[in-house]
Amino acid sequence: FLHPPPSWDVEETLKRLQSQKRVQVIMVVNTEGIPIKSTMDNPTTTQYANLMHNFILKAWSTVREIDPQNDLTFLQIRSKKNEIMIAPDKNYFLIVIQDPTE
Amino acid sequence: MATRAQPRQLYPAGSAGAEALATGGAASAEGPGRSGPLQDETLGVASVPSQWRGVQGIRRETKSCQTARIATAEAAAQTWKHVDAEVQTEAPVPVGVLPASQYDGPRLAAFLRRVEAMVIRELNKNWQSHAFDGFEVTCLHTLGYPPAQGQGLHVTSVSWNTTGSVVACAYGRLDDGDWSTLKSFVCAWNLDRRGLNPQQPSAVVEVPSAVMCLAFHPTQPSHVAGGLYSGEVLVWDMSHPEDPLLWRTGLTDDTHTDPVYQVVWLPEPRHSHRFQVLSAATDGKVLLWQGLGAGQLQLTDGFALVVQQLPRNTKLRKPPRGETEVGATAVAFSSFDPSLFVLGTEGGFPLKCSLAAEEAALTRRPSSVPLRAPAQLIFSPHGGPIYSVSCSPFHRNLFLSAGTDGHIHLYSMLQAQPLASLQLSHKYLFAVRWSPVRPLVFAAASGEGDVQLFDLQKSSQKPTVSIKQTQNESPVYCLEFNHQQTQLLAAGDAEGTVKVWQLSTEFTEQGPRETEDLEQLAAEVAT
Repeated sequence: FLHPPPSWDVEETLKRLQSQKRVQVIMVVNTEGIPIKSTMDNPTTTQYANLMHNFILKAWSTVREIDPQNDLTFLQIRSKKNEIMIAPDKNYFLIVIQDPTE
Repeated sequence: MATRAQPRQLYPAGSAGAEALATGGAASAEGPGRSGPLQDETLGVASVPSQWRGVQGIRRETKSCQTARIATAEAAAQTWKHVDAEVQTEAPVPVGVLPASQYDGPRLAAFLRRVEAMVIRELNKNWQSHAFDGFEVTCLHTLGYPPAQGQGLHVTSVSWNTTGSVVACAYGRLDDGDWSTLKSFVCAWNLDRRGLNPQQPSAVVEVPSAVMCLAFHPTQPSHVAGGLYSGEVLVWDMSHPEDPLLWRTGLTDDTHTDPVYQVVWLPEPRHSHRFQVLSAATDGKVLLWQGLGAGQLQLTDGFALVVQQLPRNTKLRKPPRGETEVGATAVAFSSFDPSLFVLGTEGGFPLKCSLAAEEAALTRRPSSVPLRAPAQLIFSPHGGPIYSVSCSPFHRNLFLSAGTDGHIHLYSMLQAQPLASLQLSHKYLFAVRWSPVRPLVFAAASGEGDVQLFDLQKSSQKPTVSIKQTQNESPVYCLEFNHQQTQLLAAGDAEGTVKVWQLSTEFTEQGPRETEDLEQLAAEVAT
């Protein structure tokens, strides 16, 4: 049983996510705030990554402080124009921007 | 201690004095020769000067001092050499996307596999979510009829039909001052139909003159009455686009001589399942028409407003000479008393009228049916003509009026002074309507291009929501709530578009105690 090459798995997953309804942008950022994969142009990606990074860490630390047994599993920011969803992990963050209204 | 300088007195000391003594004695001895021991002698004064005390004299000495001269010296310094140097921050190198080799491929793949399902689930939930549905006011449809818009026609009136699925609009112009032979249209869109094309109405009727007002029949979903600029009243059947005209008044002696500003369907007095059309125009007449055979609308009853017959309970400005008619611009019937209606006038004062009024009107022109004077009470006027009145569906005594002075007045039928006066706009207000579900909510269309929704429970000073309908501040001329689907509000503007707004849940769900609050508001009538 041959393992598929790692990059193909990543790309395929990202493609699947991108093809979901009304998804605008997909981004993967590491824990230092450096974007690893993105469907947007570089400068905007970097801006998003920097801004989200602080926010994610704040949310994560808030949850942990309230209850150290707890952990942040998902983060969603809804704004007038779109919705930003963040799935945090030990090493990476997956950021998806969706337009929920049509 | 001051020492006084005493003049030097030097008495010859010793011998001279003694000599004087001696001489004196001797002289007297050589006198008559009498000498003896009992002789008078005068002795001189003897003084002894002090050996040690000297005279305190004034001693003076003169001394002076002078600062030494200031020494100055000059020296010059000059740089001989200089070097130019520049400092410049370098543009920040964007932390770029790490090249593929720099991240841990398998770890990343594992992470994505872990979160993928959850993210997809959330994404799906989101676009299906109705959680935020009622949150904001959104524009559901933007409807327009390009040929009418191309002629620069305004939407003068909108109306929902009895099922709430069709919205019709009338095209005309609200700013023309003279008789115009402008061809105009009445368009209807069926919003429930699949494949709705906002630019293509489901039914279009061409009308030879500008249509000023529109009203759908209360029970027949496709019958609609309209009032024209020429004074005619027409009734169409929108389900027959080839030959829609059902009835018309034609241009008879009975027809209005001025534009008809509002038409309303009323149940007939004897057969309440049949309806007649009431039309109000600026020639001062409010006429009731019934459709007979042969497509003719026959005048069955009518009222005429004459200045001399207006109630005198409030002082009014003296009307200009010669003018006896009071132009009616808006009509609203009370939901509690079917014979009670409110007329808005060009003079700015609302009139409380009754269909059962009996006094004959003093009109100059003959009419086939005797006209009556309907006014019973006159209310305190606005600062300009009233364009719209609306009776509250929840309280028998309250009604709103909106005028060109930009103000909304909330009146109670019981008193002439308004209960409240709100300034909504600096331009004209063209329409005001109470919400059919919320007792304290009403909407107003302003000349500044927005639809303002007021919730008297939240704030009586400023609108809860102000919806911007037009981009360039061209006025919104009409609006109507949908009585069946109560979250819908249609508004027509000067650009020729009708926008159907979906109101947020805060405007469609009644809160507790709203009717009581409305009662309280109405009870603020001054005694």
